[in-house]
Amino acid sequence: MKGMPVVLQSDVWDILHSKGFLIVAIIIGIFTIGAAVGVPLSLNTWLGTELSWQETKPLLELSMGLAVNYVPLLVLFTCTAIWATEPIAKEKAKGPIESLLATPLTAKAVWIGKSLAIFLPAYIIGFIATLIVILAMNLAYILPATGHFVLPLPEALTCFLFLPLLMFALISLGVIFSLVTNPVIGQTIIIFVSVLLLQVVGQVGGRLWWLLASWEYALYNLAGAILLGTIAFYLSRSLSKERIILSSKGRWA
Amino acid sequence: MRDIIKLEGISKQLGKREILRDVSFTVKQGDIFGYLGPNGAGKTTTIRILLGLLQLTSGKATILGEDVSRDEARRKVGFVLESDGLYDNKTAEENLWYYARIYGMAKPAERIDRILNLVELWDRAKDKVGTYSKGMRQRLALARAMTHNPELLVLDEPTAGVDPSGQIEVREVILNMAYKEERTIFLSSHNLDEVQRICNRIALIDRGEIKLYGELEQLRREMSGNKVEIETTEAITEPLFSELKSLSHLGLRERKDKTLIFVPQEGIRVPDIVSLLVRRGVEIEEVSRKKASLEEIYSAILKEVEPS
Repeated sequence: MKGMPVVLQSDVWDILHSKGFLIVAIIIGIFTIGAAVGVPLSLNTWLGTELSWQETKPLLELSMGLAVNYVPLLVLFTCTAIWATEPIAKEKAKGPIESLLATPLTAKAVWIGKSLAIFLPAYIIGFIATLIVILAMNLAYILPATGHFVLPLPEALTCFLFLPLLMFALISLGVIFSLVTNPVIGQTIIIFVSVLLLQVVGQVGGRLWWLLASWEYALYNLAGAILLGTIAFYLSRSLSKERIILSSKGRWA
Repeated sequence: MRDIIKLEGISKQLGKREILRDVSFTVKQGDIFGYLGPNGAGKTTTIRILLGLLQLTSGKATILGEDVSRDEARRKVGFVLESDGLYDNKTAEENLWYYARIYGMAKPAERIDRILNLVELWDRAKDKVGTYSKGMRQRLALARAMTHNPELLVLDEPTAGVDPSGQIEVREVILNMAYKEERTIFLSSHNLDEVQRICNRIALIDRGEIKLYGELEQLRREMSGNKVEIETTEAITEPLFSELKSLSHLGLRERKDKTLIFVPQEGIRVPDIVSLLVRRGVEIEEVSRKKASLEEIYSAILKEVEPS
């Protein structure tokens, strides 16, 4: 994996200096402010200010669960949808990918470097946005109303660890497809699975709402991450410089 | 001289199509090796194999004794591919730093300055590559190829698409790299004039097979068909021309103004022809053995292999 950090650093620099980054920052900024202001206000309207901690604890934990599942998922989804495959498509069309592969870098180092370069900025932005929403919900409403800070451990692990792991596995899978086939296929896979995940969270929030704050739900996320990660790892065994080069010339080996 | 590139019977098949068939040649240390051939002949495929981008179907390819599939081989090679592979949104310096770090160079600043001077881009080092002309981009790509101080440079059509003045600049950079930096150069090109000017050895590939390989000067002599040109001070008279023509062993082929072109039969030496002409009162201005131009060689070889 020698040289992988160089690819990672360069690609992160490219993402941070791209127009796409500005667009993502604006979209997520608006969304985060909206959630940080809107959710505490809604809870206030719905539940009032005089709360019994024992009675409202499950409800508050579920509200928190919905927020901390949606926020990182939406942020990661927005970031990856915009950043994930366009740079690879450009590099394949204009030639830098061929030059990169003609160096001692391995195809796997390029894959991991590019996947991490998409994931890390998205994770940091998602982390900050989620933290802002959690703090806003607690400080603006839950703490004054109940005297307690709400963030159950399964929810914290889901939003800060398992869900990001799931997204990283998905990104790395999408990047493999972008490298060895048409980048549009990679992007389609990422968007399709992300929309599916958003749908799952929506369904769980609506029908199986009691699951959101549970360990089961956290472990489902972990299992999903392991499953996608295993698929990506398995497919990465067939990742070769020849496949990448031929696919960039329109030949999929 | 050490063998820098050694290809031994390499073949490459993609699907049912055989792109390279039993290709063998050696590039020696210090060579500027010209790799010629029409479009689709297999030049770029050979280069991709040399750079470890494509795997061999059969045969053996080494660079400085290392198998081309090994990372060690790639550390010793600098390259300019068909597309320059530069990042438009980075400056020239940033592009070179990026590759220097990929090659694991600890302190590349001094080397990068030196290389940017060599390609005469030091004054544009901080400009984004997206603002460069094609010629400047090619010079920067050559600089990138040299950054990690490789022993071998593999250049795929480095002057393609560059205007004439840009071509001269790129050629100068290549010659500087060959002579000042003492690098071995493998140059794939369509430009026969360019190859004739700067290369000492060539290989000609067509439809995946090597059709001609060797020292350029020797090939030019061999392919000239032993032609001798004798330039006289005055144009020779018609009777003398007829007389010389009748002496078939001299092999007088052509008369162009004051120049006579002979293809002497075996055993006939050039001094014998000269002394005969002097005896007939002809004043000799210059005697030269004609060498075939690369264009003549190229056309002759490709014509030979054309299907009827």
